Amino acid sequence: MKQFKLHSFLVALASITLLASCHKDKVTPAPSKPTAERAGIYVLNQGGIGHNNSTLTYYDYTSKSLVPDQFAAANAPGTLGDTGNDLGIYGSKMYIVVNNSDAIYITTAKTAKQLSKITLHQPRSVVFDKNHAFVTSYDGTVSVIDTTSMTITKTITVGADPEQMAIANGKLYVANSGGLLYPDPPTNTLSVIDLATLTEIKKITVQINPIAVTADAYNNVYVLSLGDFDTKPAGLTIVDATTDAVKSEPTVSLGYNIPIYTQGDFVYYPTTTDNKTYQIAVYNAKTQSSASVNFITDGTSITTPFSISGDPLTGEIFIGDAKDYASNGTLTAFDKTGKKEYAIATGISPGKIVLLNK
Amino acid sequence: MKKHLPLIFNYQWRKPGCFAVLLCLSLPISVSAQSDTTKKIKEVQVNTTTLPAVPLAVPSQTISASDFSHYSAFNVADAIRNLSGVSIKDYGGIGGLKTISVRGLGANHTAVLFDGVQINDAENGQIDLGKLNLTNIQEITLYNGQPPTILQTARAYASSSVLSIKTIKPYLTAAEPYAITAGIKAGSFGLVEPYLQWQQRLSNTWSFIINSYLTDANGRYNYAHNDNGVKDGGTRNNTQINAQQTDGALYWSKDSAGFNLHINYYNSDRGLPGAVIDNAPPTFGQQLWNRDLFIQAGYEQKWADGFSLLLNAKFTNSKLHYLDPHFITATNVLDQHFTQREYYQSTALAYSILNNWEISLAADVAVNNMDADIPNFSFPTRLTLLNVLASNLVLGRLTLQGSLLYTNTFESVKTRTAYPDQHLLSPTLMATIKPLDDQNFQLRTYYKSSFRNPTFNDLYYGFSPNKDLKPEYAQQYDAGGSYRKGLDGLFDFITVTADAYFNHVSNKIVFIPTLYNGSTQNFGKVDIKGLDAGIKTALKAGNGYRFDISANYSYQQALNVTGPVTDENYLNQLPYIPKNTVSFNAGISKGSIGVYYNQVAISSRYYNNNNDAADYMPAYSVSDASVVYKTSLSHFPVTASAEVNNLFNKNYVVVQSYPMPGRSYRLSFQISI
Repeated sequence: MKQFKLHSFLVALASITLLASCHKDKVTPAPSKPTAERAGIYVLNQGGIGHNNSTLTYYDYTSKSLVPDQFAAANAPGTLGDTGNDLGIYGSKMYIVVNNSDAIYITTAKTAKQLSKITLHQPRSVVFDKNHAFVTSYDGTVSVIDTTSMTITKTITVGADPEQMAIANGKLYVANSGGLLYPDPPTNTLSVIDLATLTEIKKITVQINPIAVTADAYNNVYVLSLGDFDTKPAGLTIVDATTDAVKSEPTVSLGYNIPIYTQGDFVYYPTTTDNKTYQIAVYNAKTQSSASVNFITDGTSITTPFSISGDPLTGEIFIGDAKDYASNGTLTAFDKTGKKEYAIATGISPGKIVLLNK
Repeated sequence: MKKHLPLIFNYQWRKPGCFAVLLCLSLPISVSAQSDTTKKIKEVQVNTTTLPAVPLAVPSQTISASDFSHYSAFNVADAIRNLSGVSIKDYGGIGGLKTISVRGLGANHTAVLFDGVQINDAENGQIDLGKLNLTNIQEITLYNGQPPTILQTARAYASSSVLSIKTIKPYLTAAEPYAITAGIKAGSFGLVEPYLQWQQRLSNTWSFIINSYLTDANGRYNYAHNDNGVKDGGTRNNTQINAQQTDGALYWSKDSAGFNLHINYYNSDRGLPGAVIDNAPPTFGQQLWNRDLFIQAGYEQKWADGFSLLLNAKFTNSKLHYLDPHFITATNVLDQHFTQREYYQSTALAYSILNNWEISLAADVAVNNMDADIPNFSFPTRLTLLNVLASNLVLGRLTLQGSLLYTNTFESVKTRTAYPDQHLLSPTLMATIKPLDDQNFQLRTYYKSSFRNPTFNDLYYGFSPNKDLKPEYAQQYDAGGSYRKGLDGLFDFITVTADAYFNHVSNKIVFIPTLYNGSTQNFGKVDIKGLDAGIKTALKAGNGYRFDISANYSYQQALNVTGPVTDENYLNQLPYIPKNTVSFNAGISKGSIGVYYNQVAISSRYYNNNNDAADYMPAYSVSDASVVYKTSLSHFPVTASAEVNNLFNKNYVVVQSYPMPGRSYRLSFQISI
């Protein structure tokens, strides 16, 4: 009995020491298995709305150094501005979509040095196809940018308040959220744009207030909708990109944070029942069935999953945690079995994670 | 965090700048602001040759009408910014929202009393001090804790601090049965403000006073490059304000009884310039209209047998209309109307049991409701009952005061779930002692427990109201002392005060935005350790020269102790709370002319929780100066003054992305008939 107590005491002491040593330590980056192809990882942080403090975190795999704001470092005194919302790399260029600052910054991918700036009202998201960048705008449009000339060559009208996009079967799928139609309810359509003609060919009805879109290798498009915050809950619609018809609407328990990401045969998205504790659900794209209730297998908790990405080469999954949206977030890397590998500190509200190749 | 939800408008108004989260909504407005200035004049009436008032059981600081020009003050926020422990959150400009934070506590913890009756805002709990004009104000006193008066409304006991505004009362004689004062202020921002005051004696017992003013300004100002979210210089536009206020008061007094009736109407139309956003063009066309009416009546009587009675009643109807003509909606317009009403009644009865022992009972009833033309609004009605038992006991050099407040709230809604009924006890204990034979030296201490209920905005705004929200509690511990002395030599008098305090806030109410929505939650604990100190003196030099000097210092260590201890923000300073604030005011006067200089210096702050370089807001110091000249024109007293705000044209921001104005000027002329 005495020995047992002593043991408990030592354990407690060790715990305390551990806690004390953790206190206020910044997260130490220590990627375990960066592949040879990757130079590092970018995280676009939204910052606080109206604070003009969107930043671009860069973590270099080789030097193991963390740059809190690579954009500011490369373009001083320029900064990203207010609420950077999306980030994409296409070829040697990087596109940074800054929502409230009405800007699309085109930079070199490797250094984030600004090459051009396109002013577009309330831009939201970017995807790429055949030397074109497609950018949604709250004006209800998708702008087509020629990636060589870095100019807008066409503007395609879609639905209200378009958010994210995905490409499948030669078509661009655009979520028309209508989230700003207030006091009218949000909309519930997914615009289909033919990438050959760059015209809208169809609107597919999905669940109300669609936001996040991803596509798999089997011509399935996954659309996460936020619902109307009242009677209609958030939900998942799966669209068949071959027929452009709704394939299924699996029952999922989504919260208000709905990043979605496809890697290989699996689709990752957060679920919650109380909007406080989140799990990362995995859906099998091949079998069209649930693969796992929670991808994270080692008990690591994510307070506010704000972005999900990964590395197809290693099977790693990265999750951006916005925490309370007013404090610096983290990016946590998990190996393919769902065990935490490392975490790096990000800025406020890390909303997009993109790998940089060497 | 990304989308702009229309409902957000009101949240802007509540951005307290308190730690945590708040600002994630992109609001259409930007009237909110917070400036941190500190003014302090502990219990001293500036510019009087008499000895400052006797120190009270709680720290108190008073500034009276004659001082306003010494601080180059245009509104109540300007007038109190030197007070120690005070931070003003200022979104900038003549129409920008200005709210008070006392000793690191949010604006909702300070009650603003208008002639003893609270100006209550059930919608967002914060009073825009920029809306309170100085023309009809006699005196402003800030009490930490509560006013140590035995006979007052129960609401005066219910907040962690009280900003008490007393209006000008008519003091007329049969020989001079009326007095009319007319004046005009004009200056930068395209400001023109004519005002008129009419005091009239009706009989031996009846008199009235009517104050009226009209403010018109385009509000425009240039701002320069600044790192705090403002990359490039520019001009603040859509900043116009057009406001009128009329305050009529009828007074009756006879022997030991008095009655007053106030009718106050405020009408304003303001442009909202919004945050300065990099690269994006400034917003334009956003507009805010306020139509506030209140009718307030008070009756007080003292009887020879030791009883005294105070009755107050008030009706308030406040309308707020917000318009964003360029909001991205189906109609490209966001047009919202909010109306809140309050029916309030207060009864207080005090009794002197012995010469050295008084007790009192105060009972307040308030009914607040709110309408809004937003979908699924809950239309809440809140009944609040406040009952206080208070006692004041003098034992030789020791004075003991205590009060116990019992608050009950009952809420009903038309849709969704009502906030649960609350039944809370809030005790306060105060003690003062004069340990020395020198009665000018006094030590004091107090403990006070108070809370603030969630506001209607906290509870019913947004898409997913939090049914489990709890009140936010504040515990205050204060110990301090004061010394004052009238002197015969070079110095006219000197007063010195100092207080150390510890505040603990739990269940802090913060708005946590989620990706496309948000909710209000009890998130966080705060420990605030602080020091307030002040000195005031006056010198009489030769040749009729008089020097008035006051200086205040505040130290506020306001730490986020939410935890866990491993959290990277644990023990970080709260956003927007400066650690050090120094204010200084000096004046030289001779005969009819006086020259005054004021300075407030605020140490660096952070605007987010992390306290890292990205959140850093540099220290700043702002100076003001004024010249006041008093003379007479055909036997009518005339006052002319020239005031300069931000004398050295300092670029600074109080709230991230809201640049403050540079140097500005104001001329005033006033004549009394």
